[in-house]
Amino acid sequence: MNKVSFGDTVRRAEDHRFLTGKGNYIDDITMPGQAHGVVVRSPYAHARINGFDADAARRAPGVLLVVTGADWAAQGFGPIPTKSAVKENRDGTPIAVPDRPCLAHDRVRYVGEGVAFIVAETRDQARDAAELLDVDYAPMDAVTHPVKALEPGAPQLHDGIADNLCVDWELGDAEATEAAMRAADRIVRLELHNNRVTGAPIEPRGAIASYDAGTDSYLMYQATQNIHANRNTTAEILGIEADKIRHVGPDVGGGFGAKNSVYPEPALVLHAAKTLNRPVKWVNDRAESFLSDTHGRSQYSTVELGVDDDGTFRALRTTTVGELGAYCGTVGAFTPTGGSARTQGGPYGFEAMYYSARAGFTNTAPLDPYRGAGRPEGSFQIERIVEKAARELGIDPVELRRKNLIPKERLPLKTAMGLDVDCGDFPTVFEQALAMTDRVGFQARKAASEAAGKRLGFAIAPYLECTGGMPKEHAVVTFTADGSAHLAVGSQSTGMGHETALPQILAATLGLDMARIGFTQADTDATPLGGGHGGSRGMEMGGNAVLQTAGEIIEKGRAIAAHLFETDVDKIDFEDGSFFEKDTNHIASMTEIIAASFDPERLPDGMEPGSLNTGSTFERGIISIPNGCHAAEVEVDPDTGAIAVTGFWVVDDFGTIINPMLADGQVMGGVGQGLGQALMENAVYDEASGQLVTGSLIDYALPRADDMPPMTLEYYEGAPTKKNPLGVKGAGEAGCCGAPPAIVNAVLDALDGLGVTHIEMPLTPEAVWRAIDAAGS
Amino acid sequence: MHDFNFIQPKSAAAAADALAGAEDGQYMAGGQTLIPVLKQRLAMPTDVVDLSAIPGLAGIEVSGGAVRVGAMTTHAAVAASGAVRDAVPALAHLAGLIGDPHVRNRGTLGGSIANNDPAADYPAAVLGLGATVVTESREIAADDFFTDLFETALDDGELVTRVDFPVPDAAAYVKFPNPASRYAIVGVFVSRAGGAVRVAVTGAGPCVFRQAEMEAALSAEFSAEAIAGVAIAADDLNNDLHASAEYRAHLVGVMARRAVAEIA
Repeated sequence: MNKVSFGDTVRRAEDHRFLTGKGNYIDDITMPGQAHGVVVRSPYAHARINGFDADAARRAPGVLLVVTGADWAAQGFGPIPTKSAVKENRDGTPIAVPDRPCLAHDRVRYVGEGVAFIVAETRDQARDAAELLDVDYAPMDAVTHPVKALEPGAPQLHDGIADNLCVDWELGDAEATEAAMRAADRIVRLELHNNRVTGAPIEPRGAIASYDAGTDSYLMYQATQNIHANRNTTAEILGIEADKIRHVGPDVGGGFGAKNSVYPEPALVLHAAKTLNRPVKWVNDRAESFLSDTHGRSQYSTVELGVDDDGTFRALRTTTVGELGAYCGTVGAFTPTGGSARTQGGPYGFEAMYYSARAGFTNTAPLDPYRGAGRPEGSFQIERIVEKAARELGIDPVELRRKNLIPKERLPLKTAMGLDVDCGDFPTVFEQALAMTDRVGFQARKAASEAAGKRLGFAIAPYLECTGGMPKEHAVVTFTADGSAHLAVGSQSTGMGHETALPQILAATLGLDMARIGFTQADTDATPLGGGHGGSRGMEMGGNAVLQTAGEIIEKGRAIAAHLFETDVDKIDFEDGSFFEKDTNHIASMTEIIAASFDPERLPDGMEPGSLNTGSTFERGIISIPNGCHAAEVEVDPDTGAIAVTGFWVVDDFGTIINPMLADGQVMGGVGQGLGQALMENAVYDEASGQLVTGSLIDYALPRADDMPPMTLEYYEGAPTKKNPLGVKGAGEAGCCGAPPAIVNAVLDALDGLGVTHIEMPLTPEAVWRAIDAAGS
Repeated sequence: MHDFNFIQPKSAAAAADALAGAEDGQYMAGGQTLIPVLKQRLAMPTDVVDLSAIPGLAGIEVSGGAVRVGAMTTHAAVAASGAVRDAVPALAHLAGLIGDPHVRNRGTLGGSIANNDPAADYPAAVLGLGATVVTESREIAADDFFTDLFETALDDGELVTRVDFPVPDAAAYVKFPNPASRYAIVGVFVSRAGGAVRVAVTGAGPCVFRQAEMEAALSAEFSAEAIAGVAIAADDLNNDLHASAEYRAHLVGVMARRAVAEIA
């Protein structure tokens, strides 16, 4: 019996499969008779399409189907819709949403946009044919810079959308913020750029689908994070009923937000499978992944902090220009507006806050959520302005933060941005993190570093974020008479370990043997609804759905036990995997009750055999508030500008920790991703040509194992949230909130005294070297 | 990738014949540059002539004051070789810095120098040690071998069989890697043999080059300070996404001083 509890470090059940090459990814799936599709992608950032000549491509060896943009348009399929939660501008008018077809037919708006889909017997034949497709392009001027795109005279992307502007939005009290700014002793200002990045999941996007003419239905496997919602939207595009598509996410190799959205290709694959009456597989290569996956971040912001000379924060105002790319993505306009606004100000107290954003279209791949989706941008803004304020005021940055953290006694509160902060203890978390960092030894380490010609720096960065994603989640548990169970959930792991953590919750709650719990996720046939993966919702939604389902199973089990013990249900208790009658020696294990549940002789009236099987939908009330504190120590080589992160410490308040090892994995991965954005990663488009310059792993600097810092992680578990029964707060995106400001501020601390006050991310060696050089001259 | 004929000859002569007989043939040593460009459909040879089955092209021997490395010897073999570490530790160190473990276990010395990528590491060692490139038909001095961006003195079909690295009194290689590709943004190989000093720079320009002013200064006085005043002009250096020409010029100085300091 493999007995587990909440808080146990249960090793990952899925790892043996992943680490021995037994994972089942899209390209591992083979359907009998499958054909292969490739997308022909635009080489131009902006061009009119005068026409297609597909004759040569259609005649190429092995070619089964060529669907050009013109062919697709003629079919009358719908555009790819946006599902942005922000739908209106500040003046109440609707945001501008251009039509986005699955294949462009009259105009392309970014390099990598699909213009045709070619299916052949083999992938190479399809690629050969793609080279034969003649698309008559008339290149147009492009704009790839989000600020320049909104300026007068910029190339215009969409007819009927003025000045490339999608959304103009605000949150907070502008007047109260202005008044508090005026009342403050000073206003500290900082302009900063949150660099554009891409998820670069290890498995590129892909799908394989078959069509059954008898039932007019489809089976599609896709490397996506969002099985139910993306099925529904893809059906909407094709004008078919969603329940005609069974959509399955097999093992999915990473997402980071880039597999969250609805993309054009699944609709193309389904259409081709039906047209050919054959299974069709499409898998992006790495270059296509860079060109056509959604990118993230990309904000140019001005941050203003009204602060008194004694360090008291009064007001915060952020003015941002965000970027949508060529079209509205699935979440689209929400990320640079609501997504970035709600956690403004972090864990600090303010009299007033105001956030204002405009975001528009550029000739680049669409942008959509990327691990954190606005909260890391907000966290970076507040922590950078606080660091700058500390230096302008001559106050120790640690002291300035300590002074302004919201004290525990003030919780719960609703922030000026409307966020419900129910619980937590920010000062305690801050002090816990600070205590880990060996401040006493810092001066000696700094001296040793200086003796070697280097400069050591330190920074601490508390953060406050929130969860998100779909507000409902479903879990189904089915039993067999031998006592084994199968758990199916609509939430989804793309590598995080749900196959371990969710059965762990079920096993711990019901007292079952974990080895006898099977697991299915991301299958529209397995659960009637599911919210997939996004917004750090795995434990909050999936975990609570499992807990709720287990609770309903226990209630049914009590009825069965009462029947077996010939007593009343209210006399039955359940504890430690067993049902027992109070004040008697009557006891039945969960396994015995499961066996009884299949035996009509032992069931109470009204219960059918198998009725212990339970499906339950958990619905979130209010999103939870993960928070914590990161600290970084960095060593800068001033001769080259190279940075080494020599120490990294984290304390997180994720509420209840179900499996510490899996939580550690989330934090470490998030820190790695945050480090990547801070120091290495940058998705760069050439402004003149609109070409993606960082279109391969040779040019896009993704962190590797040897770039990762030594990390020490702890949890603060003193404030489980009451917003959900598990008391969990979401762990997935926190690393991206804390790491960039901690690392960037630590680098600036290392350069203290040289006159460097700001360096834009990524802090590449050359950027650091130039900043030192510019400050010194 | 496009279809091509795959030929695996058993001798250098057969390889040359295969290449000569192909419409658009291409030798493949370790394939660490060729295979990615084949997969990207950037290279479309009709015939790929794989050199891995030719006997005698791989191996390391130290004799006659030289480290003799067969053209098909992998970077990992050079990095791990005790003989190389004893004779020219900087050469083993350099081989261990190339790419990643996958590349080091497939990529070869001959493939690297025949390709002459401007950011590759090995050209710095070949030029910085004044090595001799041995082919089927002749010996080519390092100073004559690397001619331009991706260009060498090799004739069409001429196969590198071995490189002889003379054992110096001391040598060092210091590299500032590109964080994405791990190629050199700037790498400087410095060697001292008798009174002669060589300073070879890779990554900075379109082709590996010797820095004559540094060599002269170091010949007079072998110390980092001796080259502190050498100004590197940015004019002809590479200027790209990863580093500006000015930054590369600066790094040439820093890397050279660090290399010298290691062995001064």
